[in-house]
Amino acid sequence: MDKIYFIAKKELMAYFKSPVAYITLVLSISIFNVFFFIIIDQNREVSLRDVFHVMEFMFLFLVPIMTMRLFSEEKASGTMEFLMTAPVTNMAIVLGKYLGVLVFFSILLSFTLIYFAIIEFFGSPDRLTIVSGYIGVWLEGAFFIAVGMMTSSWTHNQIVAAMMSYVILFLLYFLVNFTKYFSGAAESLIQYMSTLTHLEHFIVGVITVGDLVYYLSGIFICMVFTRLSIENRLFQ
Amino acid sequence: MIITKNISKNFGSFQALSDVSFEINKGEIVGFLGTNGAGKTTLMRILTSFLPASSGTVLIDGDDVAKHSLITRQKIGYLPETPPLYLNMTVKDYLKFAAEIKGIPAKNRRRQFDSVMAECQLEHMASKTIGTLSKGYKQRVGIAQAIIHEPKLLILDEPTSGLDPIQNLQVRNLIKNLKDQRTVIISTHILSEIEHIAQRVLMIKSGEIIIDETLDSLMRSHSIDESSGQSRAMNLEDIFILHHRDQESVTIDSTWVNNHG
Repeated sequence: MDKIYFIAKKELMAYFKSPVAYITLVLSISIFNVFFFIIIDQNREVSLRDVFHVMEFMFLFLVPIMTMRLFSEEKASGTMEFLMTAPVTNMAIVLGKYLGVLVFFSILLSFTLIYFAIIEFFGSPDRLTIVSGYIGVWLEGAFFIAVGMMTSSWTHNQIVAAMMSYVILFLLYFLVNFTKYFSGAAESLIQYMSTLTHLEHFIVGVITVGDLVYYLSGIFICMVFTRLSIENRLFQ
Repeated sequence: MIITKNISKNFGSFQALSDVSFEINKGEIVGFLGTNGAGKTTLMRILTSFLPASSGTVLIDGDDVAKHSLITRQKIGYLPETPPLYLNMTVKDYLKFAAEIKGIPAKNRRRQFDSVMAECQLEHMASKTIGTLSKGYKQRVGIAQAIIHEPKLLILDEPTSGLDPIQNLQVRNLIKNLKDQRTVIISTHILSEIEHIAQRVLMIKSGEIIIDETLDSLMRSHSIDESSGQSRAMNLEDIFILHHRDQESVTIDSTWVNNHG
C-alpha cells in the first residue's frame, strides 16, 4: 500500500517538475472557461449539461497527453528496469502510476467547480444533477486514463502511445454514431460500448448500476492488460 | 549466496543462455566476462528477476528467484548497463524515492540517505537535477540507488563503461571501498578492471560458461613461454582473447599469437 502511494507521489512530482502539467492545466481551464461563458451566454440556463459535453470531448484529446509518458518514458530511459527489480509488485506499479494521473486529473477537474459556484450564485440549479454530472465526467476521465496507461505500456514511444489512445478513445466515443447500421444484439452492444451513452445518463442526473459497471469494469480490464503487458517482455 | 542450476533462456529460436550453473559464496567479488551478446546482461537480468529464465532455478540466499521474487529483490542492489535515472528529478528526490520503494523503514531513510551520499561522494550534488550531471556522477547516483537499502548482493552491469580514466578510477575505488562485506557481481569490458577488483572470474561465451575459477588460479594456469625459454603470466586480456579466437570478429593480439598461435 505504501509503495502505491510512493509511486503515485513520484508520478505527480514528475508532472509538476515538467512544463506538461502547467501547460495542460492552463490550456484546459482556459478552453473550459471560454466554453462555459459561450454556453451560459447562449443557453441562459442554470445547468452545466453542455459544459460536461464539452469537457468530455476535450478530455478525449487531453487525457492521452497526460498518460502517454507513464510507461513508455520509463521503458525508453531504462528506469523500467529499476522499478521492476525493486521489491514492489507489478500491480502496485500499475496502481501507483494510475493513482498519480488520477489525482492530477482530479486537480484539473476541481478547477471547474467554480462554474458550479457561479451558477449557484446567479440561479437555483439542480444540485444533484450537477453532482451526478461531475461523477460521470470524473469516471469517464478515470476510464480514459486507464486506456491511456494501457497503450503507454505497449510501446517505448510516447507519440505512438498517444496515437493508440486516440484510436481507442475515438472509437469508443464515436461508436454510437454507427448504431443505425446495425440492429438487434449488435446495436445494443455498440450502444453499450459507447462512452457517450453512459455519460449522458450521469449528465441528466441518472446514476445506474449498468453505467457504473461500464466504467469500473473498463478501468479494471485496462489495468489487467497493463499489468500483463509490463510482465510480458515481448513488449519490451 | 547464489546458486544457479541449469539456467537456460530462449528469445524465440535464439538461445541466449544454455544450461548455466554456478555458485557464488558470500563476500565474493565475481567478474562476469564475455563479448557483447554473450549473455552477461541476460544472466544478470535473470538473477535480478527482471527476466524469467526459460528453465532452471536461481537461489539467492536460499530463496528461489521465481517463487519468492519480492524477497530476493529486497536482497539485491542492481545497477543496469544504463543507469536507471529519472533525469528531471534531483539527486535527493531520486534517492529518497529509491529508499521508499525499496522498503527502507521511514525512521532509517534519512540515515541511509546520508550514508550513501557520503559513500558515493554526492553530498554537494544533492539538489542538482540528475539530467545536468556528468556521466561519472550519474553513474555514482546509479550505484547509490543500488546500495541504499544495504543489499547483501550487488549486481553491477558495466558500471564504468563510457567513463573517462579519472571517473573510471573513482567509480572503481567506490566499488572497492563499499562498506560491509557484500557479494558483488560485476560485468565489464575493461578487463584490467576485473584484475583490480574481482577475486573470481566467470567467462561466458555464446550463452555458456567456459571459465569459472578464481582469478589467481586462472592467471597461474595460463602462462606464455617466451622464446627465451622463460615463461610470463598472461594478463586477463590475453586469456580472454585466447578463448575467443574462433570468433571471426576478434582480431588476435599479434604479440603473443606470433609466438604461440
